[in-house]
Amino acid sequence: MSVWPVVVMVLAVFVQRASKGWGEVAQKIVMPLGVAAIGVALWQVGCDWAGSEIIPTPWRTALGMREIIASDRLLGDSLASLYRVTWGFLLAAATAIPLGLVVGWSTRSFWAMNPIIQGLRPISPIAWIPFAILWFGIGDGAGIFLIFLSSFFPICVGTMAGVRNISLVHQRSAANFGVSGFELMRRVVLPGAMPQIITSLRIALGVAWLVIVAAEMCGMDSGLGYLINDARFMGNRYDLVAATMIVIGLIGIVLDLLIRRLENFDEVKWGYVKQ
Amino acid sequence: MGVREAVTQHGNKSAKPKVVVEGVSKHFMRRNEELSVLDDIDLTVKPGEFVCILGPSGCGKSTLLNIVAGFEKPSSGRVTIEGEEVTGPDPRRVFVFQEYGIFPWASVWDNVALGLRNMTDKRKQQETVEYYINLVGLGGFETSYPRELSGGMKQRVEVARALAVSPDVIYMDEPFGALDSLTRLTMRSELIRIWQAEEKTILFVTHDVDESIQLAERIVVISDRPGRIAEIVDVDLPHPRDLGSPEYGQIKNRLYELLGVSNVV
Repeated sequence: MSVWPVVVMVLAVFVQRASKGWGEVAQKIVMPLGVAAIGVALWQVGCDWAGSEIIPTPWRTALGMREIIASDRLLGDSLASLYRVTWGFLLAAATAIPLGLVVGWSTRSFWAMNPIIQGLRPISPIAWIPFAILWFGIGDGAGIFLIFLSSFFPICVGTMAGVRNISLVHQRSAANFGVSGFELMRRVVLPGAMPQIITSLRIALGVAWLVIVAAEMCGMDSGLGYLINDARFMGNRYDLVAATMIVIGLIGIVLDLLIRRLENFDEVKWGYVKQ
Repeated sequence: MGVREAVTQHGNKSAKPKVVVEGVSKHFMRRNEELSVLDDIDLTVKPGEFVCILGPSGCGKSTLLNIVAGFEKPSSGRVTIEGEEVTGPDPRRVFVFQEYGIFPWASVWDNVALGLRNMTDKRKQQETVEYYINLVGLGGFETSYPRELSGGMKQRVEVARALAVSPDVIYMDEPFGALDSLTRLTMRSELIRIWQAEEKTILFVTHDVDESIQLAERIVVISDRPGRIAEIVDVDLPHPRDLGSPEYGQIKNRLYELLGVSNVV
């Protein structure tokens, strides 16, 4: 009989206590950590219960983590994934935002372009992997291309929606003061759509981080997705698989925190705060 | 110099008309049914005049103002300003919106400077923007964003933005509708102060009987759909107006009568 179920119960009581009476700061730190600890303890309970050698325990995962950090593979593969995501994402933002602004603003280009955009959008970027490898080979090119595809559509559609949501009053204000052409884009259309553009960038970056792992598992020779595959084929090193998964999750959180900083600019805060 | 004199002096009322609305009608198609919103409106506004357009909600008074401002096209008839037909919005004539037309993504300063953005003399631009920000009592809020301001302050920013381009005509569509009643009173007396100082022609749409008597020299009463001019009521009272005077009461009774509502509850 293992002690872990008891640990789970003790932790649960601890979190329940912490939810009351303690200061807000303590609650916001202590409670999530307590819940995480319960999660880890349950993981241990599951391992004991299954009694399988192949499923890694939290401790073996921690050792695996030390191993991949020490071997420098983690750093190299993380940078490889981040490199592809960064370039694919930036290329997508640089093309999808201008296209979304134009297609969202001009009714005629909306009619012309929207059906094609909506038609390409539901195709999973994963489905493009064969073509990506055909065109770019196994390497960064294919990864960047796939990230570009997976970020492009959320950003483009979000920008279009942001532009089409610009209120009539602001459009009329602009018209009244003779704002037109490129200046209209810069002074009204872009800033008016900006809060929604930033939301779409957040969504796109999240999708990009999901897709890069899948892409690297299917047809690349570096990156965190490749590391997972490699660990499995190296002799069922599921401890390394789990450790890599944790790293993927942590990097995902950091990416989201970084991109959320865009929401703090004075020019866009109005889009998120209830007036 | 009395206020009355000041009014007559700045608005040279014998000059030729500023805004002329001739036979303007507007109808929409709704579910294959023709909906007449405005029917044969004729109206002449003199330079420097303060005219209120008063009517119940949905009577088409905002549509009339949007047509005069060039945001909408009339189904028939035409609007001319100094003899020139209105075909679209024009920076010489500025619209103040009910639901905050200022840009929430720009600071107070940038909002007020919108109409002066192409000014080459940056010092003159700076001075003009500062002048109007101070005129509406927002000195010190130049770098604030609209979301940091109260409803009344946002509306002041919009008024400053409109005044900064020195427009001949200002259109106001229930500009104080979203404000509380005390702020509304303050905004009205400030608007009168600015109107007297700046010599603008103002067309002001409202459904508030008191607001129209407090502000206007003439009140154009619009009847319920289809909107027609029921009567044009002159308000021959000097500013500041005594809301308790018998003349005020008489005009109020007349307006209630024209709008078909009882002034007794």
